[in-house]
Amino acid sequence: MNDLMGITLVTLIIWVGLFAYVYRVDRKVRRLED
Amino acid sequence: MRLNDALKWGLLVWMAVVIWAAFQWAPSAVGFQGESARIVFFHVPTAWVATLAFLVSCVASILYLWRRDPMNDVRAASSAALGLLFALLATVTGSIFARIMWGSYWNWDPRETSITFLLLIYAAYFALRAAVADPERRATLAAVYAILAFVTVPFLVFVVPRIWWSLHPDTIINKQGTIKMDSRMFQVLMGSLIGFTGLFVWLYTIECRIERIRQRRQQELL
Repeated sequence: MNDLMGITLVTLIIWVGLFAYVYRVDRKVRRLED
Repeated sequence: MRLNDALKWGLLVWMAVVIWAAFQWAPSAVGFQGESARIVFFHVPTAWVATLAFLVSCVASILYLWRRDPMNDVRAASSAALGLLFALLATVTGSIFARIMWGSYWNWDPRETSITFLLLIYAAYFALRAAVADPERRATLAAVYAILAFVTVPFLVFVVPRIWWSLHPDTIINKQGTIKMDSRMFQVLMGSLIGFTGLFVWLYTIECRIERIRQRRQQELL
């Protein structure tokens, strides 16, 4: 695996983690709104 | 599935494709150290979102002074906070590029200096908000400050870095009014700009909703 592929994978993992966190907060806020 | 949810899952896939394309599909730029130019796909969108967020904050502040609706104060503060966050991200990504290209994270280049001023101006916005206890007075002062702060944004982001000689590479739309970028790189950049704008809209609505809940709870307690 070359360096660029490693950077791609790390960036993708960061993005999926960030998305999951924000999505969780979003759902929590929705529950509080109801 | 509601449209809202579909858009969020769409953003997940969109940005994943952008990330893959940024590192695997776009060609290497000529005249840059190694693959350092690929940071443009993240640096430019974060700077764009910061500018957009400061604009939203300014518009919400004008609306607050006009209609005195407390929600506009919430919108202004939420947007300014996100603007500050994205401006910080633009600074960090720019510093990484500077380290690779020029050998130092910080060079006091006109663009680095102007973004420092911008960060300080918007940090002062939150210092001002924290210093005033009365909500109505705080909202009015913050709204006036946010409008004045935004007046500096076009100068600090677009004018100052173009007046003095700068290490910063020529911007995408340069002085000649032409786009000097490989077409595949340009497509990825546009995709990234759309994705980051979508992320900003999502984060902004969450922030506003949290603030609305907080205010509703405070009213219930009184």
